[in-house]
Amino acid sequence: MENLKNIRQPMKIIRFFLLLFLAMLLAGAGPAPAADDALAPFRDEQGTLKIAGGTAHIPVMKAAAREIRRVNPRIRITIAGGGSGVGIKQVGEGLVDIGNSGRRPTAAEIEKYHLRLFKWAVDGVAVVVNPANPVRSLSRAQLRDIYAGRLTNWRQLGWRDLPIDLYTRDQASGTRAVFWKKGLAKGEISPRANFVVANGAMKSAVATDPGAIGYLSVGYLDRTVAPVAIDGAAPSREGRYRISRGLYSNTRGEPRGLTKKFINYLFSPAGQQLIAEAGFIPVAR
Amino acid sequence: MKEKGLDRLLVFYAWTAALVLLLAVLAVFGFLLQRGLPVLNLKLIFGNADPLAALGGRQPVFDGLYPAIVGTLMLVVLAVTLAVPVGLGAGIYLAEYSRGRQRALLGLFFDILAGTPSIIVGLFGLTITIFLHRCLSAQIQPCLLISALSLAFLVLPYLARTTQAALEEIEPAVRLTAPALGASRRQNLFLVLLPQALPGIGSGILLAIGRCAEDTAVIMLTGAVAAAGLPRSLLDHYEALPFSIYYYSSQYANPEELQRGYGAALILLATCALLFILAFVLRQLLTRSRGIAAGWRP
Amino acid sequence: MNQRLQLPEKFFRLAAWGSAGLSLLILVFMLILGRPLLGHDLFALVFHQPWQPDRQLYGLFPMLVGTLAVSTTALLMALPLAFGTAILAAIIRPGGCGRLLVRIVQLLTGMPTVVYGFVGIFLLVPRLRTLFGGGSGRSILAAALMLALLITPTMVLIFIDSFQRVPRGWQTAAAALGCTPMQTFRHVILPRAAGGLLSGTILAFGRAVGDTMIALMLAGNAVAVPCSLLDPARTLTSQIALVFAADFSSLEFKSIFLCGLILYLLTSTLTIALRLARPTVGYQP
Repeated sequence: MENLKNIRQPMKIIRFFLLLFLAMLLAGAGPAPAADDALAPFRDEQGTLKIAGGTAHIPVMKAAAREIRRVNPRIRITIAGGGSGVGIKQVGEGLVDIGNSGRRPTAAEIEKYHLRLFKWAVDGVAVVVNPANPVRSLSRAQLRDIYAGRLTNWRQLGWRDLPIDLYTRDQASGTRAVFWKKGLAKGEISPRANFVVANGAMKSAVATDPGAIGYLSVGYLDRTVAPVAIDGAAPSREGRYRISRGLYSNTRGEPRGLTKKFINYLFSPAGQQLIAEAGFIPVAR
Repeated sequence: MKEKGLDRLLVFYAWTAALVLLLAVLAVFGFLLQRGLPVLNLKLIFGNADPLAALGGRQPVFDGLYPAIVGTLMLVVLAVTLAVPVGLGAGIYLAEYSRGRQRALLGLFFDILAGTPSIIVGLFGLTITIFLHRCLSAQIQPCLLISALSLAFLVLPYLARTTQAALEEIEPAVRLTAPALGASRRQNLFLVLLPQALPGIGSGILLAIGRCAEDTAVIMLTGAVAAAGLPRSLLDHYEALPFSIYYYSSQYANPEELQRGYGAALILLATCALLFILAFVLRQLLTRSRGIAAGWRP
Repeated sequence: MNQRLQLPEKFFRLAAWGSAGLSLLILVFMLILGRPLLGHDLFALVFHQPWQPDRQLYGLFPMLVGTLAVSTTALLMALPLAFGTAILAAIIRPGGCGRLLVRIVQLLTGMPTVVYGFVGIFLLVPRLRTLFGGGSGRSILAAALMLALLITPTMVLIFIDSFQRVPRGWQTAAAALGCTPMQTFRHVILPRAAGGLLSGTILAFGRAVGDTMIALMLAGNAVAVPCSLLDPARTLTSQIALVFAADFSSLEFKSIFLCGLILYLLTSTLTIALRLARPTVGYQP
């Protein structure tokens, strides 16, 4: 994958750590001690780690912060949302230590801010409707028509007479960027669409609105919303579903200290387990 | 006959309007109580942590409102500490030292500041942050201190105006006695006027506290975040109750988080109501005989 | 009077002029930071361009319409409510209830706006949705209803105050001539209270224009110019809250200072109008 170029340098170190972990696993340590081993580097750390950006990342960030602070409460980890654009800008400006993005930062951004990219998961962007809505499959053309505002009623798609409520995200959203590029083929998004500020907000909006259609990170899927298959492919973490993207954590320059340990933790077996539990496919370094 | 009909109509209308208002308010607060009261317990605030350990700072709280409550508390204390001296000073100047056109001009500026939307004050705070970040130190970023400073800007005009009003309400007889006995202007101010105006000023401060505690627009631009734990320094990000309410309302990931939203809304509501009642009681101490409109400031 | 100003007096003066200067400083900051956009066709930006940052269009017209629509609707709903309540509390005063009513209304002025927004999402939006058969429920109407509830108490109190400023003597005189309380109200009090009614209305409008959270949480934040009360809309205040996290050097970010400028000019015009409506010196709550 193209992004591997950027993270080749730390790869060696990481591979060493991974091997170390594997060795420990094989040596008979159970999963629980393994998790604690992954946390061992944090024992004698202190200070604050600031994270901002992609909202798809937040559940993983929160879970990781929780584990780390469980072994060492002196470490402070602050997590803000804002969307991928915000994450990249803020880490670039030095406002936070880690800027998350649900899209690959552009070449210009990487160069301008000297970003180091760490892709730790693959995530699908699922099109979702309210569970009351029986429409569970759309063609890509239909999806484009819906979002452009050319199809405005669910009756046109074989359900009852109910206006379609579009939900979208703002410009800073990586989820939007990926959905727009791969789901809508850069088609138009009607200005009448409702704006929500995060993946969680998208889920709760669609879950409470029978006429809604929206899109969100697969990690946020649960029973309160119904995923829609696009061109016959159901949203999943597998390769066939085309509206997918990597989840990145970016740092300005080479990560150091606590930031480095945090990123290492994401790639540790324990971290990868957290990522899988949050609903993403973990990516090894 | 026509007059009588009009009279009745007006009375009927007045009753209807008041009832609609009360019912709407009842619906809002009833709904909040109905959903919020059942979830109000220690677990809501401390999550799975042991309350005593959490209060002692020995155990971090993850799934509770404790960090948000502490954040709001720190924010309010800091903002009011910053705003009170300046606000009182400005109010005293307005009431006791300025005259004529100067007073009118100052008053206009204060009213403009009081009428400025809080999101603009937040934007102003953000701008200052960016400025300081670029020019002074990369360490400076949206944080507790900047939020408190912006909130102080927000409540300054309220403090100044309530202080002014409290001083101006003092009767001439009281105002003139000490100078007549040979007291200097400053002695009169510090020994007679200010003590007399204290309840009024105090209630103004309490209302300013309420305003600091509830404002969301300012803090969402200047450093409140979704998850931060307890703030360790003034230059840290922090959690705050109003921002948590906003965050949970739109982004709750599970029913527990939504419940936390209800709990936070109820706690904030109760805090503001309590501050308001305290301010009212304080004011009553002095002005039992005055008109009804005297006791409140928005 | 000629005694030299000593330290406390110097501090008082500094505090007064310092805080007064703050309101000018805010204006200056908005002007400086919004400057890059001031070079653009300002008229187009404010009065007809759409908001499409993808296509380098940073028009604020939809938000201006949104702000005016939301706050005017709220005002139109609040006005009759406040007027009637004020009559009941100040004129009719049914058996001591008048005082209680005033206390309740006073208490309401201190309620947090974010709580109104929160209750609006879960109580009002779903009901509006079912009531109007579809639509997301997030609309101008939803925001205006909650906003009306927010501004009514302030209006009620100013109305009551203006009723009570009418000299007692006039009222007794009217009563002595055989006027019923309602007649006294209509013929004696109301004409004298017109200025107070106007200033209460202006002030409430200012609060409605300046409120962020209710519109942000309930109005749907769509960027199209709304055509009906049931359409979603984005206000100038929401626009600032939604875009503030963008890249600091982008025009998108700078455009929010133009939003701020418009809002600032709008509210300070209202404040000055308030002075003209009731030119008495002193704080008008």
